[in-house]
Amino acid sequence: MTARALRLAPLAALALLGLAACGTAEPPTSGGAPTVRRLTESQYRNIIVDVFGSQIVVAGRFDPIVRTDGLLAVGASRATITPSGVERFAQLARSIAEQVVAPGNRELLLPCTPAAAAAPDDACARQFLSQAGRYLFRRKLADDEVATLVKLAAAGAQARGDFYAGLSYPLQSLLAAPDFLFVSENAEPNPDSPKLRRLDGYSKAARLSFLLWNSSPDETLLAAAESGTLATEDGLETQVERMMSSPRFQAGTRAFFTDMLGLDDFTTLEKDSLLYPAFSLAASDDSREQLLRTLVDELLTRDGDYRDLFTTRRTFMSSPLGMVYRVPVSQPGAWAPYEFPESDTRAGIHTLLSFVALHSHPGKSSPTLRGKAIRELLLCQKVPDPPSTVNFDQFNDPKSPNKTARNRLKAHSVDPACAGCHKLMDPIGLALEHFDGAGQTRFTENGEPIDPSGDLNGIAFTDAVGLGAAMRQDPAATSCVVRRAYSYAAARPVERGERDWITHLEQEFADDGFRFRQLIKRIALSDALYAVGRPAVQTAANERPVARM
Amino acid sequence: MSDRARSVRSRLGRGAVPVAAAACLLAGIAAAVSQVPAPRAAPRTPQTLAFVVANWDNAIYQTRFMDECPDGPTIGNDELWWRGLSRADKDKLTDKGLVQPVDRRFISVLRGPKGEDVCWNPTVVQDPPLRTVKGKTAYGFNLDGKIDGGATPKSCPHQDFTGVDGTPGVDNQMYRLLGCTYGWRRNGVLDTFGNEERRNSGRGVVLIEISGIVDLQNSPDVQVAFYRAADPFQIDAAGRILPYASYRVDANNGKARYGAVTRGRIEKGVLTTQAIDAKLPFYGNSAYAEIGLRDMHVQLNLTPTADGKVNGLVGGYYDFDKWWEYMLKIEFLIATGDWSCPALYTAAKQLADGYPDPKTGECTAISSAFRIDALPAFAIHTTGPAARDLKASR
Amino acid sequence: MSILIKKPYSRRDVLRGVVGGVPVAVALPLLDFFLTDSGEALASGAPLPVRFGTWFWSMGHTPGHAVAERADKLEFLEECQALTRHVQHLNYFGQFNSPLDGRPNHVHHSGWVTTRTATAPILPGDIPEPTIDVLVADAIGGRTRFRSIDMTCTGNPRDSFTARSTHSKNAGEVSPAALYTRLFGPGYADPNAAEFKPDTDLMLQQSVLSGISEQRQRFEKRLGAADKARLDEYFTSVRQLENQLVLEQQKPVSADACHLPQKPADGPVGLEIPVAQANHDAMAKILVMALACDQTRVFNMAFNNALSSLRRPGTAYTHHTLTHEEAVDQTRGYQPEAFWFNCRVMESLAVFVDEFAKVREGKGTLLDNTLIFAHAETSYAKLHAVDNIPVFMIGRAGGRLKTGKHIVGHGDPISRVGLTAMQVMGLPVEKWGTGSLQTAKTITEVLV
Repeated sequence: MTARALRLAPLAALALLGLAACGTAEPPTSGGAPTVRRLTESQYRNIIVDVFGSQIVVAGRFDPIVRTDGLLAVGASRATITPSGVERFAQLARSIAEQVVAPGNRELLLPCTPAAAAAPDDACARQFLSQAGRYLFRRKLADDEVATLVKLAAAGAQARGDFYAGLSYPLQSLLAAPDFLFVSENAEPNPDSPKLRRLDGYSKAARLSFLLWNSSPDETLLAAAESGTLATEDGLETQVERMMSSPRFQAGTRAFFTDMLGLDDFTTLEKDSLLYPAFSLAASDDSREQLLRTLVDELLTRDGDYRDLFTTRRTFMSSPLGMVYRVPVSQPGAWAPYEFPESDTRAGIHTLLSFVALHSHPGKSSPTLRGKAIRELLLCQKVPDPPSTVNFDQFNDPKSPNKTARNRLKAHSVDPACAGCHKLMDPIGLALEHFDGAGQTRFTENGEPIDPSGDLNGIAFTDAVGLGAAMRQDPAATSCVVRRAYSYAAARPVERGERDWITHLEQEFADDGFRFRQLIKRIALSDALYAVGRPAVQTAANERPVARM
Repeated sequence: MSDRARSVRSRLGRGAVPVAAAACLLAGIAAAVSQVPAPRAAPRTPQTLAFVVANWDNAIYQTRFMDECPDGPTIGNDELWWRGLSRADKDKLTDKGLVQPVDRRFISVLRGPKGEDVCWNPTVVQDPPLRTVKGKTAYGFNLDGKIDGGATPKSCPHQDFTGVDGTPGVDNQMYRLLGCTYGWRRNGVLDTFGNEERRNSGRGVVLIEISGIVDLQNSPDVQVAFYRAADPFQIDAAGRILPYASYRVDANNGKARYGAVTRGRIEKGVLTTQAIDAKLPFYGNSAYAEIGLRDMHVQLNLTPTADGKVNGLVGGYYDFDKWWEYMLKIEFLIATGDWSCPALYTAAKQLADGYPDPKTGECTAISSAFRIDALPAFAIHTTGPAARDLKASR
Repeated sequence: MSILIKKPYSRRDVLRGVVGGVPVAVALPLLDFFLTDSGEALASGAPLPVRFGTWFWSMGHTPGHAVAERADKLEFLEECQALTRHVQHLNYFGQFNSPLDGRPNHVHHSGWVTTRTATAPILPGDIPEPTIDVLVADAIGGRTRFRSIDMTCTGNPRDSFTARSTHSKNAGEVSPAALYTRLFGPGYADPNAAEFKPDTDLMLQQSVLSGISEQRQRFEKRLGAADKARLDEYFTSVRQLENQLVLEQQKPVSADACHLPQKPADGPVGLEIPVAQANHDAMAKILVMALACDQTRVFNMAFNNALSSLRRPGTAYTHHTLTHEEAVDQTRGYQPEAFWFNCRVMESLAVFVDEFAKVREGKGTLLDNTLIFAHAETSYAKLHAVDNIPVFMIGRAGGRLKTGKHIVGHGDPISRVGLTAMQVMGLPVEKWGTGSLQTAKTITEVLV
């Protein structure tokens, strides 16, 4: 363990931080239960592109996954597939399979040509299906599985008088199969630990590839799983190094933050086009992309400090966004780097549209929603749901002298039923009031100047930029990303028996200068991620385990 | 994106220079819009503001009952053509009254003695004189510095107007010329279509860039530049032009292809520029044209109206030939615009009041004024060629 | 056993024929499996099927301005004026309560969950028991191509109020065009077409699915109980789709009222009132034909989301925010803007019913052979009250229901309404619900 920790730390960091900080061994954990998780829409799409190429159109909708313990990745471990969901997956499977065997694609994707195009060819079908099946099921197919598929191909070819048409049926079968749609993990004995088991090679490979690439394992990773090298420290490190140096690690990072920051909500984000004409569909799409580009740039390209996300002035700008931010775009029609000037009201990802517009109403801002989002998404603090007896009488009276949200929200702090929770949300949400419901800068509301000052856990600030500086100092911000990243990787909440490990991980993250890349690497190389505890006491599908941090 | 487009884009990327005073743009505009700059956004250094011109209309002063046109509206080409037809020709065209809608579009102008097109040959027939504006009030500027309409070295004798705000000596012979023609009056088909077409096509987009603003209310000396944009208008789903879009300045090897740079001042929130000769791009009514204005004056009220636009007036001596060229290009609208080419041409020649030809003494330009409105925008200066990449920016 | 030849109903003979190269246009005999309790239903001239559906709206009613309080007669006030034209075809259930047994009132959630599942959720977002439509579909949904058709007018498929469990929510169709394609696009067999030819492809598709069902044991053997339960749902879903394919291979029973609806154009989806209304109306038109053509017998329509984000174009406030933040107009005694939205919602419900009433079926209309269970998630949104949630039963359910009544619950659990609806639909259920919501008391006043 110590040896690996040492290898992990860059030499420069070693010199700076001293050996003590880097050499701590990974504390033991209780292990977690293996998961069975439904592929998310983006994972499904990525796999299809990886296996069959980007020319295959994946047109369809997916059953929603319920965000659980802050992550869709955790919800995926609870998700099932409804009858209409099965119908849609079957339709998708059919459409994909038909495209794969269509002229133009079949030449590229099939490793062989059938002896006769109008008749079955078991050998060719076997070759193709065992290969495609291996990638789709993330494991080698058993002989009898292949045989069954080949038989279906032959039946189809005979009935349709066309080898390729016949081949589409077993392919559909693969694409609609539980082995494809659910990532089901298995445990095996761990020779190094009498108490804990560990994920087997294929399960480990899947965790790695979904964490790092948001897709299924590639040939090299599958081979490493099959040969057993993935079970060794060196073998694991080789794979993690390889995968993290691939450009696909960006896709994995984007997927993680899309989940952590709830960016899936963009698909249904609506803004009133009369009130906010500049907030077009293109602007909505681009604001999501802007945040992801900013994250990739800060965390991967620059290998920066995670905390700087709350203070950075650097971002990227596109033409549609320029009109909402009201800033010049140096290359109209393309993405270009942009830096908010010192004097600007914006710095930090919490001031980007993807935050302030997403956490607003269609026609107005919402300090409460924004405050809640900062607490829950960025600081991992749960804000209780509003009481049912809520009374807003004081909040909004059209004749009221309360022109700004701050004045209106005073009702919250006056009413003891509201004050408890709203003091968590409103003061930080009000810091973002310089941004209207579409995230556009404004300095007044109903003609009255807006006061964006407040405090976060005792640190006073004067505006959104100051709020970012306060968040940068808040240990909750860094501990939040640590927990979310681990929980995302494991597709389950952090277990009680993993507390020491998480504390350790937080310390290592700090020692690494809060480098996100290092955090993911430490998680990917940890024993904890692959440790499986005693046969887990399974809870009913609806019940949430309580033993959690 | 094609490889070519990519290479163009990346060339642009290397060539791009930071927008002048970008740091203060947001602050300045925010201040212009909300009037309440926050401490963080307080302007410290001179700012640059840019606008994209949305509408460009002839400045027509009109009263409810058309008092300014005591003779009534102009008689259009169709009417003159129909009056000139013989009974037999009329019977032939209408099949003795059985055919009601007569397609007269391409034949009604062919009423020269030898069937000539009377727009291209406006002197081959003599139409009744154009009905022109007889009112005393007009929008515009005093271009020649005189208030009695007398000749100066750069103007021919003419009748001056009093400005709508009471300014004496306003020169706007274009108004006198066009003010009684329905198609040119306010909400008339010609300017309305022109504006709409520019919005939809993205052609002929004019940028105004004001730099050196120290205070939006009062700045004694600012630079004012007029450019053509290389990017089309950014419009929303309902077809409205969006504010705060970025437009590349159409330039060739760093030199703006169109435009003019002058100086001006801001007083009480109104920008007034020094006169300058300018050529501006123009597109409208399916015609590319060039507005050639000598002694161009601009007045722009920098306080936005409720719809976020700033309004202003542009005036100057409009080059006669460039103007007539546009009239010929929009000949196909003669029936809807309702004018007669020979009458218009003859009157224009008579009313032309600017820049006498040294040899003939005949004036070669017409004093004119245009109402414009414009939206806040960003003018992007690139050192490389501003590639016209319509597809990418739409 | 071969992937191709399996299960009592998997068309062994036909598929063996396929494998052997025999022509595949073999007429499929009717299978007992699909005729569980009404073998004669598919025979010509048989009784028309009774359909069940839900219609959800949020934000409840404006108290004192929706339904007159008198119980002897059902009378609608301003907010429900549009429903007056259907007063003889529906029942209104008021003063039924949702006792939560100390569980928190998760605002805009607990109310609809108690009404639809007769169980109070413990955690926000939880759906502890299957919703009523799922229970009904379990009983009658297997006989049609689609077990259930779920729609939502908000543009967001997640705004759906039908689920087997928290993590098994049925996504709603949001676009009329997509709904049309799903119902009447490929795979639709016109029940009135003279000729019927079963499709080779359908049989092969079915083989694909039965192949998947066969993997169940292999796949499930390593799973824990909870995961097994989840996967059971998936495999049950696969089985249902198989049934659907089997049905598609049979000649459909002719249906007089059935005709192909007009294909709607692709339009915008979203929460602006005119957009939501247009999509609602378009989907209602398609839905009634899906019912008349017996493509489904169960449906769910969600008019808005639980936190009604409906809005008027150009305004800052949504329906939901208005219910809390708009001041009560002292002269009128209610929040005028929120009231305006409530009126629009009730108008849409009336339009929905119109579509059912327009379809002539047998001696009456489709409405006579349908039970629409319409309700909100709160009674008075301003206060998040979950007592007195308004519920309508619309239609005569094949003559099993008396209509035109105003039923007063006097604080009885709201589960009584759902229990009665299920019993009307012929479900063998004696009692329903959990804790104080458990009931065995049918509302007999509405039974024929």
